[in-house]
Amino acid sequence: MLVEHPDEAAGLAIASGLRFAGYAVGVCPGPRGRGQCPLTGPAGCAPAHDADLVVCSLGYEREAAREVLSELRTRYPDMPLLVDVPSDIDAELQELLDGCHRLPAAATPEQVVAAVQSLAGHAAEEGPADA
Amino acid sequence: MRSPFHSEPEAFRFVLLLTLALIPLVLAATLGPTWLALVVLAVVLGALAVRVVQLRVRKLRGLELSVKMAPPHVGPAGERRVLVVANDTLSEEALLNEVERLASVPSTHVLVLVPALISPGARLTGAVDDLLDQARVRLNTALDRVGHDLVVAGKISEVDPLEGIEDAFATFAPDEVIVSTRWERAASGLEPRLAGLVRERFAVPVRHLVFEPGSGAQEPDEDTEARYRHEFGDAAARKFGVRALSGVGILAAVLMSTVALVQSSERDEARAASQAAAQAAALPPVAKMVALSVIAEYKRGPEGEKHDAFTTTEFAVRAGQPQELRIDNTDTVPHSITAPGAGVNIVVMPGTHTYTLLVKQPGRYLWFCTFVCDEWAMQHPGYMSGYLNVS
Repeated sequence: MLVEHPDEAAGLAIASGLRFAGYAVGVCPGPRGRGQCPLTGPAGCAPAHDADLVVCSLGYEREAAREVLSELRTRYPDMPLLVDVPSDIDAELQELLDGCHRLPAAATPEQVVAAVQSLAGHAAEEGPADA
Repeated sequence: MRSPFHSEPEAFRFVLLLTLALIPLVLAATLGPTWLALVVLAVVLGALAVRVVQLRVRKLRGLELSVKMAPPHVGPAGERRVLVVANDTLSEEALLNEVERLASVPSTHVLVLVPALISPGARLTGAVDDLLDQARVRLNTALDRVGHDLVVAGKISEVDPLEGIEDAFATFAPDEVIVSTRWERAASGLEPRLAGLVRERFAVPVRHLVFEPGSGAQEPDEDTEARYRHEFGDAAARKFGVRALSGVGILAAVLMSTVALVQSSERDEARAASQAAAQAAALPPVAKMVALSVIAEYKRGPEGEKHDAFTTTEFAVRAGQPQELRIDNTDTVPHSITAPGAGVNIVVMPGTHTYTLLVKQPGRYLWFCTFVCDEWAMQHPGYMSGYLNVS
């Protein structure tokens, strides 16, 4: 599982919940500072590439965060995306979120774990994942 | 083994760049002179070194966004696993009290990891026993003091501390990490920056506890951690810079030595060719083929009588080079050109035949006819005897 969360403590809390639910976890703060997110660059992002599911909670008021979401959808169209959706979303974001699994805004770690388990169970019913 | 590439396109670009770098190198080596191949090699290696330095400095400065990783929790859901990383601070009572406190919490397992801090130099020379013994003594003393054998385990790590922690994540899967250091790094202690590095790499809570003799555990504030990060980054960048410069120096020395060797070799070859040409020019001329005859009573001796003789008795030849002799033996019996010192024994049969005269060593050799004919002529050069002048 890859958790994308700009807040370190919140990301770790979600990661801890997922770890105790039996998942290996990667936590990424997303694009920030001077460094470019490798996902939006030509090199790609190995953790995203290897992930079975991505929990994306980057806050979509920034263009860079939307770009990450867009790249995830483009590069890995079959990978489930669990997106923390803000309460008010514009049309562009609405289009971007089409087909994503949504979490309520500021979801608690327990809610994230429950959603992941639900999605993983759903995927298991459909058949084994490739990754 | 973890792939060094982030993605397939990155691996593809690496192969493409490698190929593009090799093409001019191979072309220069095949079609051009040696120095051109060396120049191309130097340019390619230089570009590679610059790129490596760029990436390394970028990483050391923390410009690379890293993803923290953590394996799944191991054991029952209620169990908690704590990894304690320490070395010289294991002697601090406050740290041992903290380990004891952790171990006394129900369903908590503690692993005390002691990196032996083996320097690359010690690893290279094999002088690691003392460092390992020191770490072992510290660990055993601490475990004896803490007790709780069932929930507290210890491990010595011989690799780099961060690699040791990574190994512990693979085998122990901690839910929390405690890194114990001094405020400033001691000779046999852990780098204070280690806690920050663990925090950047692993997706579990990391506590940095600082222990000084006689005082309790203290946690550095964010500014101190930032200072550690900054100082560590600068020190690592400096160290890498020195190593990179050393590498460039060694590479330059090897290239210059190779160039000098090639030039010296070319000079030697040219000098040898020039000397050979000069020597050849200085030597007496040698005929491609010498025609001569053996004639009975051909030449009058000093006493006034005629003697058998070869019409040519002095032969100029090159050492190691065959010299053709076309000899018309007008006599009815065989004669010979025999020079034991030169290893020559040519039997000259009646009639006209071509023989090959070959002498390997330079010198002036006496030859004579070994077939009984004119006894006086056989003993006098200029008749049935003479000299081989080998140059």
